[in-house]
Parts: sequence; structure tokens; C-alpha cells
Amino acid sequence: MTDTAVLIVIGLFAGPLLGGLVSGLDRILTARLQSRIGPPLWQPFYDVVKLWGKEKTVVNVWQAFCAYCYVAATSIALVLFFLKSDLLLILFTQAVGAVFLVVGALSSTSPFSQVGAHRELLQILSYEPLLVFVAVGIYLETGSFKIAALDTWNEPLLMKLPFLFVVLGYALTIKLRKSPFDLSTSHHAHQELVKGLLTDYSGSFLALIEIGHWYETVLLLGFCSLFWANNWIAMMILIVATYFVEVLIDNVSARMNWRWMLGYVWAMGLTLSLVNLIWLYVG
Amino acid sequence: MPAAERLSAILIILPFLAAIVCYLIRVSRIRSCVVLITGAMLITSAVWLIFLTPFSLSPQPLLGLRIHVIVQILDFFLLLVVLYFGFKHHHILIKALALLQIIFLLYFEFFVIQEKQDVAILYGDHLTLIMVLIVSIVGALICFQAIAYMKNHEEHLQLKKSRQHRFFFVMMLFLSAMNGLVLSNDMLVFYFFFELTTLCSFLLIAHDGTKEALKNALRALWMNSLGGAAFILALMGIYRETGMLELQRIIIFGNTGAGVYLLCLALFCFAAFTKSAQFPFQSWLLGAMVAPTPVSALLHSSTMVNVGVYLVLRLAPAMNGTFLSQCVAVFGGFTFLCAAALAVGQSNGKKVLAYSTISNLGLIFACAGLNSPESIVAGMLLLVFHAVIKALLFLCVGTIEQHIASRDIEDMRGLYTDMPLTALITVMGVIMMIMPPFGVLLSKWMAMEAAASNLYVILMIALGSALTVMYWARWAGTLMSDPFAGRFKPERQPFLTWGTLGALCAGAGLMSTTAPWLYMQMIVPTLSPAYLPPYTTQYGILENPYGAFAVFPLSLVAALGFVFAILAVKRAARARVVKPYLSGVQTGEPGVFTGPLNQPVKAEAKNYYLSSIFGEKKLTTWINLGAGVLLTLIVGGAL
Repeated sequence: MTDTAVLIVIGLFAGPLLGGLVSGLDRILTARLQSRIGPPLWQPFYDVVKLWGKEKTVVNVWQAFCAYCYVAATSIALVLFFLKSDLLLILFTQAVGAVFLVVGALSSTSPFSQVGAHRELLQILSYEPLLVFVAVGIYLETGSFKIAALDTWNEPLLMKLPFLFVVLGYALTIKLRKSPFDLSTSHHAHQELVKGLLTDYSGSFLALIEIGHWYETVLLLGFCSLFWANNWIAMMILIVATYFVEVLIDNVSARMNWRWMLGYVWAMGLTLSLVNLIWLYVG
Repeated sequence: MPAAERLSAILIILPFLAAIVCYLIRVSRIRSCVVLITGAMLITSAVWLIFLTPFSLSPQPLLGLRIHVIVQILDFFLLLVVLYFGFKHHHILIKALALLQIIFLLYFEFFVIQEKQDVAILYGDHLTLIMVLIVSIVGALICFQAIAYMKNHEEHLQLKKSRQHRFFFVMMLFLSAMNGLVLSNDMLVFYFFFELTTLCSFLLIAHDGTKEALKNALRALWMNSLGGAAFILALMGIYRETGMLELQRIIIFGNTGAGVYLLCLALFCFAAFTKSAQFPFQSWLLGAMVAPTPVSALLHSSTMVNVGVYLVLRLAPAMNGTFLSQCVAVFGGFTFLCAAALAVGQSNGKKVLAYSTISNLGLIFACAGLNSPESIVAGMLLLVFHAVIKALLFLCVGTIEQHIASRDIEDMRGLYTDMPLTALITVMGVIMMIMPPFGVLLSKWMAMEAAASNLYVILMIALGSALTVMYWARWAGTLMSDPFAGRFKPERQPFLTWGTLGALCAGAGLMSTTAPWLYMQMIVPTLSPAYLPPYTTQYGILENPYGAFAVFPLSLVAALGFVFAILAVKRAARARVVKPYLSGVQTGEPGVFTGPLNQPVKAEAKNYYLSSIFGEKKLTTWINLGAGVLLTLIVGGAL
């Protein structure tokens, strides 16, 4: 019982802390790739604190509801992850957050929010099935949807599920809002949709959404870690390498449109998943 | 007379008598009272039946006539009525199918069936009980709301003479037919009620009497008659093979690998697919939305379409481990995916609901076809939750439609300003369709984990689920889309409307949080002897060796989060209100900014419906073709 409580607390705090640090590192790394120096490591935290101190303004009160639900859902998803719960359940809980983010954006009548929200829905449509395929692949290999089953697994999943790791990479790129998939909103405000989905969130509500995003980042990197779960060092190397590739992709690719995203991600994701899953079924 | 028999009589005969009273006494007060009292008695009897399940019985002769003889007479009468409608509207297919069924039935009843053994005509186990509860409670609630709805409806149509007596006659008859169907064990009795639901749905769809209504009603009639013909054919085959007419014994007879038996099961599945409006028979259910909304609610949630899934869930143990079962799973998954894709392309709210019904029923068929203990549990839970929430959503759309005179999602933009409570209840319904810890998602979770061992099915379910999220989230967001949603003042609606919507919404929420208990009390008893109970429940966590869904803990956390979020809304209501960003100086009017040459420009955004990908025109032909191929595989593969 105390173990559970400790894990819940770790989950609740690790999310914002690690997520914020990852975000800070991301900004420094991106800056270096672009021959800039970049902000200090703790900048994302400063940003959130500053946003929190701003005057509360709302476009529609239900935005507040949606922002809180987004953070609640993403943090619950991460806690479930730390409790080594059911993979599909974690995915569903994470999807709740994503849906509330969209509903909140739709509740503003600004066309920027509206179009951003619809693009976000298309992003969800693109990555959701892929995450389910990854979970199914893990089930077929370990015989369980519970993360706890990996405790006794002595072989990195990456060896058996290499293609599904690439599939997870697609989902990660979309989820982290990296080019070429940063359609609904991006870290940079110089896009045609202003800030897209987040245009009308402001002040503490925007801060909440940033925190929710950190939870999601940690959760997805957590999924990556499952692919080399039997060795800490290898796991860290895998995560760092994956994230580095993400930043690299972000910097070398341009934003594409949703038609391309849906077609490309489903085609590639489905093919790779199918090949890998058929191996597992046959094997 | 044993108590179970008395209750069965109330459940079947009382609505029938109420129907006749509704038809004869054309005073709206009395009719409303009759409907309310009948509904209340149905609900009480259905709940009471919980304590008497399981039972099986052969009722005493009625008015000195044996039940078989009565059903026989009514059966021919019913088919003659269908034939009459075929002649009246010059519909060659209906005529042909009705004649075919009459000939089959004559041959079967008088030349094939030998001396009838004394069989249990009625049978009730927990699956029956679940169905009776759905029909009686959800059905009765829909009828209650219909009282308020039809009053508005006829005022709106400005009818000189009320046609409500006819409407409530058929509604009540429908409930009687449904209860009869799920309680009957004798397949000939089952067939009679099966046909009666077809006729009732025809009458209800045609109710408004417009050209379109009639056309759609006739389509429903011929498609379901096709199912009826397949049913009677299957029945004759089964009797030849097993010499039995009792559903329970037919199931226990089991699959011996014999061709005829399996072929008959395949034909039963075919009949079920027509009833449940699976592809390529979806058009009748889509056409049914021309009728007043309570009809759609009734057809989509508690009656008609459930017949199909009920039949296949019943027959699932008999086809366990066969190729047929696998085909049904793939067919169901295919329907789930395709109907979800079509729903994405729709801006008509009722059509979205209709496709979502088809999609969810497809998932139930997939569950029945997967035929593992987990999937059967998933199918049954989905049946229950879908019925309640779909009824709620249809009634919400009906209420909205009467207010804004449109069923288009675009016209519901910012409905929260006009009808805050209805909009919120609709959003609640949507949330319960797609989010954990609510029941629909719980069953989808079970279905996915059960389907993981079947590559085709899991592929289609995963893609379909993502599409499902898309069309629901879009709708919920549109309802709340508003320049500023400030004070919450519920709009005025008749008591019956609020009562029904509230009861359905609260009921669905309550059932979701008590799902582990529901599983233990209601679902587990239906599984034996064919399946072992797959899940354990501890601390309200449903768990099996390879998965866990923490229903109670998550519900608790969700409730806490909900309270926090509502408090946040209260605080936000005091915050400074700003205008949505339009990248221009705004004029006073909402959504208008000052554009070039100082002219006011109205900023507008519509939803994405992606009709170039998911439009009906693009997809329907191909989907029907695919479904046709799969159906051929199902029936042909059983040969």
C-alpha cells in the first residue's frame, strides 16, 4: 500500500519536473543546432511561473474546465504508468486529455482555435491507432498488457519489436508537436495559425496546458523506455538517442499538411506494424 | 400461476393491451396516463424479474387456446398484413418475400413439424433479463418523453386531426414484441415476434406519412423481410438437422461440424445483420430518421437493432471455434471501422448517431464472433451501455431539433447559449461514449484485449476507435463553441423531457461506476456453462491475467477531477472576459473585426468533415461491396 502511494507521488512530481527539464534541454539543443546559444535550462519553469502570475482572462469559461481536465487526465495517465498498469488503459486515459484540449479550443469561436482544434483531431486520428498497435505488439511478445509483466522480462523488447519502435517514433513526433507534424500548434509562433489550438488559452490556463504537455512527454518517453526495460543504462541511452533524433527531425523538416500526415503516417505506420505483428503471430 | 409466468404475461401482454387502449380511446389525457402507468408497470415487472431468474415455463392455454395455435394464427395474420402493404404500395420485393415466407411457414407448420412436444415456450436466464431490463426501462422512458415530444411535433406540423393514437399504439406494440422476443424459447414464437418488430418499425417509420417517410419505411420492410425469410429458412434447416425447435436445446446441440447446422447458424447471422442494419443493409436504419425522434431512439437503442446482436450473442456458444465465428468477427470489425469512417464525413447529427449505432453494433458482432469469455462479456456490456447512452443522445438531438429546427451539427454551434442544460447533457452523453472510466470504453477495452489475438479484427478496431473519437469530440466541442458562455440558466422544458434525459444520463453514469458489480451480478451468470468468468473483481478493479481496468479508483479520481474543474469554471466566471483572437481590431459584434478599407469582416470557421475522404458518395459503394463479399464468405464458408 505504501509502495503504491510512493509511486503515485513519484508519478505526480516526476511528470512536471522531468518534462520541464526535457523541454529545457530540447530548447538548448535546438538552439545549438541552429547556431544559437539558447535559453537557460530552467527557462520552461520560469515561463510557467510567469504565466501563472498573469491576470486571469477567459474567452469562454469552459476553457478553464477543459484545461483542468487535460492536466488531470495526463497526470493520471502518467501515474498509471508508474503503477505499471494496463497499457491500453493508459492510452485511453491519455486520449481523454487530448480530447479535452480539443474541446477547449473548439469552445472559442476564433477561427485560429477552431482550425487548430480540427488539425489536432486529425493528429489524434493519425497517432492513436499506432499507439494501440505498439501495445498489441508488447502484449503478443510478453503475453500481457500490464507493464508489470516486463519486470521479469530479460530481453529488450527492441530486438523483437524494432519496427514497432519506429511506429512509436511517429506517434512521439506528432505528440511532441515536432515538424513535419506540428500542424495544430507549434512551439514557434510564426505559423499561419498563430498559436493554433492554443491561441485563446492564456495566463494560468496556458500554464496548466504546458504542464499537461510535460506529463505527456514523460509518458511517451516512458513508452520508449519499455523497449529496453531490463537495463538502466541501455534504457537511458535509448531515450536520449530517440529524443536527439526527434530534435534533429524537427530541425531538418518543414511542416506538412494534414492530408500528407494522415496518408503517410497511416501508410507507414500500418505497414510497419503489420510486418512486425505478423512476425509475432507467426513466431 | 407461478410468479415468473405472471410477470412474463405483464411484460408481453400488458403493453399489447395498452396499445389497443391507446388506439381506441383517442383522448390525449387518458392516453398519457395509460402510457405512464404501463411504463411504470413494465419497469417494476422487469426489476422484479431479477429475483426470479432463471426460469423456464410453458404458459397455460389462453382463452382455451394453446399458445402454439394462437401464435400460428397471429403469424399468418401478420404475414398477410405485410403482403397487404406490399400490394397497397406496389412493392414487388415485399410481395415476393411475404409470399415466400407464407409458403415456407405453411409447409413447415403443416407438413414438416410432427406432433409438437411439450416444450418450454418461455425461457429466462440473465441474458434475457438484461434484454428485458433494457427494453422495459429504456423503452418506457422513451415512451414517456414521446408524450411531450409528440405534442410539440403535431403542433409544429399543424395537423387537423391528431395521429397520436396510431403512434402510441405501435410504440406500445413494439415493447410487447420485444419483450416477447427475448423471452421466447420456442423458435416459432421467436419468429412471430421477430416479424412483429419488422412490421412495427415499418409502421413507425411511415408515421408522418410523407413521401420520403413511406419510401424509407418500405425499404426497411423489404430489407427486414429478407432477414425474416433467411430466419424461417434457417429454422427449417435446423429442425431437419436436430429435430428441435427450442432455442436452448438448439444451442446445446452444439456444433458437430455438420454442414447444415452451421449453414443454418450462418443464415441466422444473416437475419441478425439485416435487423441490426449492418452493411450492406445500413440504408434502412439511416432512412428511419425521417420518423419522429422517439422512434429513432427506440429503434436505435432499446428495440429493433438489439434483436440482431441478441440473437448472435445467444448463438455464440453454438458456433464457438468455427470458421463461421471468425468470419462474423471480421465482418463485425469491418462494420465498426467503416461505419465510424462514414460518421466522420457527416454533418447531420442524426446521421452521425445512426452510423455510430451501426458501428457499435458491429463491434458487438465482432465480440460475439471472437467468442472468448472476455469478448462475450465485452459484447454484453457494450449492448447495455450503448442502449442507454444512445437513447439519451437521440432524445437530446430530438429536443434540440424541436428548438432550433435543424439537426445539422453546424447549426448547433454555440448551442450552450440557447439551451445550456440540454447542451451539457448531450456533452455528458458524448463523454460517456468515448472516455474512461465510463462503460462504453470499459467494454471497448475488453474487446480490444480480446481481439489482440486476431490481427484483422484488432487492426480494424484500433483504426475505428480513433475515427470514433474524432466524430464525437468534434460534436461536443461544437456545442460549447460560444463567444462567451457565462451564467448558467437552464432553459424551460416539459417535466417529462427533463425527467427522461436526467434519468438516462444519471443511470448511465451510475451503471458505469458500478460496472464491476454489474459484471458479477448480471454478466457472470449468463456465461455458464459455455464460458468461464474471465475477470476477477477486487477493490472495484476488473482484472484478468493480462490486463486490468481500475473502475472504482478511476471513477473516484475522475469525480474528484470533475469537481476541481467545475470549481475552476466558477472561478473563471469571475475572471475578465476577452474576445476570441481574430488578428484584427474587433467591432462590437461577436466574431466581427475591422478588415481592409475599414469594412467589417465576419470571421467564421466550420468543422472539418473531410467529405473528400469520408463522404458517403466516396465510400458507400465500396463498403457495400466489401460487406457483400464478407457476407458471401460467411454463408458460403459455412457450406
